[in-house]
Amino acid sequence: MKNDSLIKINSYLSFKLGDDEFAAHVGKVLNILELVKITPVPKSPEYMKGVINLRGAVLPIIDTRMKFGMSPTQFTQNTCIVVMEILMEKDTIQLGALVDSVLSVVEIEDDQIQPPPSLGSKYKSEFILGVAKVEEKFIMILDMDKVFSSDELILVMDSTEDL
Amino acid sequence: MSIDKFKDKFKEEASDNINDLENALLELEKNTTNKDLIERVFRAMHSLKGGGAMFGFTALSEFTHNLETLYDKVRNGLKVIDRKILDITFEAADHMKSLLADELMTNNEIKTKHKQLAANIESLISDDTQTDVIPKSGSSSESSIKTYYIYFEPNPDIFANGTNPLYLIDELNSLGNCKVFAHFNKIPPIDEIDINKCYTYWEILLATSTDENSIADVFIFVEDQCKLEIDEVADNDITIHADFIHAITRLAIEKKDVGIVEIKNLIKKLKLNANVALAELNEPEKRIESSKVKETTISSIRVSSIKLDQMMNLVSELVTTQARLTLFAEKTNNTELNAIVENMQKLSRQIRDNAFDIVLIPIETMLIRFQRLVRDLSQELKKNVVFEAIGAETELDKTIIETLTDPILHILRNCLDHGIELPEVRKKLGKPEQGKIILKSFYSGTNVHIQIIDDGAGIDPEKIRKKAIQKGIISENDELSDTEIFDLVFMPGFSTAENVTDVSGRGVGMDVVKRNINELRGDVVVDSEINKGTTLTIRLPLTLSIIDGLLVRIDNDLYVIPLSVVNKIHVVDHDSISSKFNNLIVLDGVQYSFFVLRNELGYKSEPPKTERLILVSYETGLVGLVVDEVFGENQAVLKSLGKLYKNQALISGATILGDGTVALVLDTNKMIKKFSKNSEIIN
Repeated sequence: MKNDSLIKINSYLSFKLGDDEFAAHVGKVLNILELVKITPVPKSPEYMKGVINLRGAVLPIIDTRMKFGMSPTQFTQNTCIVVMEILMEKDTIQLGALVDSVLSVVEIEDDQIQPPPSLGSKYKSEFILGVAKVEEKFIMILDMDKVFSSDELILVMDSTEDL
Repeated sequence: MSIDKFKDKFKEEASDNINDLENALLELEKNTTNKDLIERVFRAMHSLKGGGAMFGFTALSEFTHNLETLYDKVRNGLKVIDRKILDITFEAADHMKSLLADELMTNNEIKTKHKQLAANIESLISDDTQTDVIPKSGSSSESSIKTYYIYFEPNPDIFANGTNPLYLIDELNSLGNCKVFAHFNKIPPIDEIDINKCYTYWEILLATSTDENSIADVFIFVEDQCKLEIDEVADNDITIHADFIHAITRLAIEKKDVGIVEIKNLIKKLKLNANVALAELNEPEKRIESSKVKETTISSIRVSSIKLDQMMNLVSELVTTQARLTLFAEKTNNTELNAIVENMQKLSRQIRDNAFDIVLIPIETMLIRFQRLVRDLSQELKKNVVFEAIGAETELDKTIIETLTDPILHILRNCLDHGIELPEVRKKLGKPEQGKIILKSFYSGTNVHIQIIDDGAGIDPEKIRKKAIQKGIISENDELSDTEIFDLVFMPGFSTAENVTDVSGRGVGMDVVKRNINELRGDVVVDSEINKGTTLTIRLPLTLSIIDGLLVRIDNDLYVIPLSVVNKIHVVDHDSISSKFNNLIVLDGVQYSFFVLRNELGYKSEPPKTERLILVSYETGLVGLVVDEVFGENQAVLKSLGKLYKNQALISGATILGDGTVALVLDTNKMIKKFSKNSEIIN
């Protein structure tokens, strides 16, 4: 029941990483927090920034920019932690994703969403549910479960060099 | 409460009863003539039968009824416990478990099993009657019939438990000649009647050859919900005396209730019994005894584990909030507030310790399953094995026990399958034919050690080495110590059994065992000697949720070191440490190896001039850990770092400090192990 009603909602939270705009379905988003002190966990991958206290629970924080292969997040006034619920190996886990800024909640109808371009994109298409054009801007809608449950970095911009 | 809830409750109780049954059977196997044990078996079955019938588990009830008949014969000395009976009872206990899960026998396999077992039991019963007809007729001779007076007044709300008192009276009726006097004088006027309440009570005269205990058995489920008196009033069947019955019926109609005194008077008057005086003398004593029994039964209560989990969560939150309060009170400099807070802290510490104690359960609770496994499997594999448990009273957190059962079962399976040899082989090797598996548990600091020791074939390190090379886990040139080689057993996909059997040796298992134990923040090591046996040691933390810790600082981050491992703290100059190349330092005339945590954890900032060296106990002795600053004691509520950090070995969890920031809890054992490995490579 709960999941059905979530799927029918066409609201997406849009946020910025660098100059690009991304969006995540609001059903995945639990909370948006201001930046607080993050306790680093030594000897863990660099994009895993550490943990914070979210109302008595320990919440892992992920640097979304680094996960996407960009430079580490510069902490500014606009930097936010988006608390999300991610399906990982059949378990639902909560994590906080660092984003450069949170923009707004936008309504995107299903028919507005185009399939992700398979060629010429700098992001791996398996992590992108689709692309939508809202007010003359392109927003990439992310498959949050895949983005955060995968161990690999998402960017393939430099893949030509690897080959 | 709906009927489903009762069913669940019954299932819970029934599985306890089956457990008890198995336990008694295992003991009975060692001592087949012990009357108490036979009685225990019988009682467990009786409860299962009665409860099963009451809650609609008809198949279970009928099934148990036959078994009960069998044991009734044993109880009455008409049959002796032998292997055949024991085997079938064990099988039956297993079957009862499946009946509980699948009461309607929708699974055909269960259905066939049910029929087959029922037939076997019946043949055992009838087999017996052929040979032992004579003593049976002797035992139920006239002379042993006695008359009992039973006063039965159910509590008004007895219906709420699904009990129909009339069924109980019916059951009494089946025991012998029965005269029942129902009393209705407690029924209120019609407009005050609550149809959910029972207002009737009974006086019953029962002439039977069974003893008082069997009569009490009828009321076993309602013991606590009624006033019950059972007294012997005559040493023969007085219900056949028409005069007596006539007189007593008149009394019952005239008076509210007859009462035991009146009945005895009447018996005296009619000279029906010679031993009344004696029975009267015994009477007060019996009353005291029964009240004693009631007192002991309420010394422990059953609480659902969900409630316990909730309580533990609340206690954890209390401890965290307490830390905040303490911090706040210190800032205010208000002496009165500080005094209150200090008191609160004491109390919350006590509550915490108490709560811990409640969720600790003894290892004993797992034993029945282990004993069963060893018994069944050793028979199947035609091996002669005895299982012994030492220190089973050792207590562990209930969640640890729950997670631990399956890994230990797997280890035992391995011991039986690969460890213990066949009797002939053992004889040739000059060992006793009977193999031995010992489960030894003991406390060691804040850890609990569980060892599974067998005196079997042992593990050949060379064999494992070859196998590991063959599987590509290690290379030909790798030099490994024996301990490291034994550790390979826990690698995924590793199995040394030449032949894959259906018991173990599928190559899945030991890695899962290790993973399960690691998830509990424990670890497991193997030690083995060829032909002498194998010892598997599992080390576990006592509890999972709250620890006393030492709060320390490295750079700008706070860490907690479990206080249980902390031995001593020294102040050291940074220069004096950095000049030591071999990581050895002499303190109070003793040499210790040490690790500078800021280096090991990858901090790059400038270290302070004076640092603190904390001596912590490690497997091999004391080891120094160097930190920037020590703040003091701290009660840490351990929270898991979650799935994302599952590969994190140095940290056993996180805790939330009074000011809301997160501090990580260091797992010193794993940390030191890892660091010393690293430095070995460097050297």
